[in-house]
Amino acid sequence: MARPAQLTLRKALLGVPLAFVTVFLVLPLALTVVISFWKRVGFHIRPDFSFLSYASFLGGLRVQVLERSLIVGAEVTVIGLLVAYPIAWFLAMRTSPRATRVALMLFTIPFLVNYVIRTFSWSYLLSRTGPINSLLIAIGATNTPLDWLLYSDFAVLIGLLTSYVPFMIFPLWLALSGIDRQLIQASWLLGANPVRTFFHVTLPLSMPGVFAAIIFGFVGSFGDSTVPLILGGPGYQLIGNQITSTLDVLNYPLAAAMSTVVIAAMLVLVGLWFRLFDPRSFLGKALKK
Amino acid sequence: MKRSHNYEGFVLRYVMWIWTIFVLILLYLPMLPPPIFSLGDGGVARALSHPSLAAYGDLWGQPVLVQAIWNSLGVALAVGLVTPTLAVLAAMAVRELRIPRVVLLLTLLPLFIPGVSMGLATAFLFERMGLDPSLLSICIVNVLWALPFAFLIMLTAMSSFDTVQLEAAWTLGSNRWRAFWDVEFPSVRPGVVGAATFSMILSFNETVRTLLVQGINNTVQTYIWSTYKTIGLSPTLYALMTVLILVTLLLVFGFWSVSGTRARSKAT
Repeated sequence: MARPAQLTLRKALLGVPLAFVTVFLVLPLALTVVISFWKRVGFHIRPDFSFLSYASFLGGLRVQVLERSLIVGAEVTVIGLLVAYPIAWFLAMRTSPRATRVALMLFTIPFLVNYVIRTFSWSYLLSRTGPINSLLIAIGATNTPLDWLLYSDFAVLIGLLTSYVPFMIFPLWLALSGIDRQLIQASWLLGANPVRTFFHVTLPLSMPGVFAAIIFGFVGSFGDSTVPLILGGPGYQLIGNQITSTLDVLNYPLAAAMSTVVIAAMLVLVGLWFRLFDPRSFLGKALKK
Repeated sequence: MKRSHNYEGFVLRYVMWIWTIFVLILLYLPMLPPPIFSLGDGGVARALSHPSLAAYGDLWGQPVLVQAIWNSLGVALAVGLVTPTLAVLAAMAVRELRIPRVVLLLTLLPLFIPGVSMGLATAFLFERMGLDPSLLSICIVNVLWALPFAFLIMLTAMSSFDTVQLEAAWTLGSNRWRAFWDVEFPSVRPGVVGAATFSMILSFNETVRTLLVQGINNTVQTYIWSTYKTIGLSPTLYALMTVLILVTLLLVFGFWSVSGTRARSKAT
């Protein structure tokens, strides 16, 4: 067996990725929270314990940005689940392994292609002279181009949904494909119809995946900075692009305060997920297949 | 299982395929405009009737852009080497350390944090540490972003490996590292290649996090973004986007065809 010194060395080496994430992510996130209480003095920031940034974020007109971001985040999450769940269920339960593999690959590719580029494309596709308006006019659905397709809530929703739905399909599929089929068959044998079986067996068992999908959908769209900027049009502010425009005027404590709100939302959801479900069993079940 | 053959099952299957394909079309649609607009300036009809590849030639004429391309390649290479190494260690840590949940939470954490918040947080850290924005800070942020994905790929690859084989190697007197290199690594190598490919692709396509720690250094993505914000979109920019989309697709298909053939040759 290995000597103790060797084992210690090995443990230290295994700790490297953890140290990496701790130093370059956990610490910086904590630093963000700290700086959110600092004060801005001219072009510099000074250590302090001041709620000034929070007051100017939550007290003034900016609170509407927070409200709107919450609403948009919730809309993307709900619509995203309605779009992604049936696909994940279908790929986990009803398709051949080969078809499932190909379909999952096809869902991976658009996610990999830079989403800023994809968002640029949507700003053309949804424009007054773009193909979607041309198509609607050609089939007689409308006489004049629809203005609300671009630079609107609708455009932002489309941009966010196409960015985060692929993210939502994977955890849902992982959870659904990990369900023991015998439980579903037992439900049939005991006389439950498919709908009842779905709501009493399949859906509850897929909750770890649903929750993970909610985290991806909500946190992603709540804190997104590019889509509202490109597709929302001038003046359209969500918390993400509000952070970047605050950085442009060098108000770091305010940017930190807004970022802290996003981080807090993420921590609450991820914390709940880890309390409610064991991520190991969720990943493990699917991995063993 | 008879249920799936009846009429209802048949209809359900078709409806679900149509829905899946509809969503896929929406996801792929945004990949079409850049190649079209890269062919010329005067709108879609003109670009298609009088296509010109001049924009692709322009790409090489701008020193700033050429430098950005080199930066992107260098960063992607570093990220493609460092991330899989960290991911393998993290996957081993899940198996061996007594805190698997903590390892999982920490390694997956970058996945849950929106780009701006992550970029801002690391920018604060680098600034406090007195580390000037450089290719190194860009690399660190890109590794962070790619790590959860590489980690998930390695977990999957290593879970299909039976650890009894490692125990056999230990019993025969090899130490843990030798056992890993000689016994486990060869069978999880496709996973490592996958993790490396994915990390490079993710790094090539990263904008928001990099923007906040780039300093004066540009990557292709930050070049596209800053040119969009200052000048607007042009055929040159669309040509650049097209090249990026093609490189991404090539990497993905290259990896899949390699791993696919290997899986098949293993099966026979």
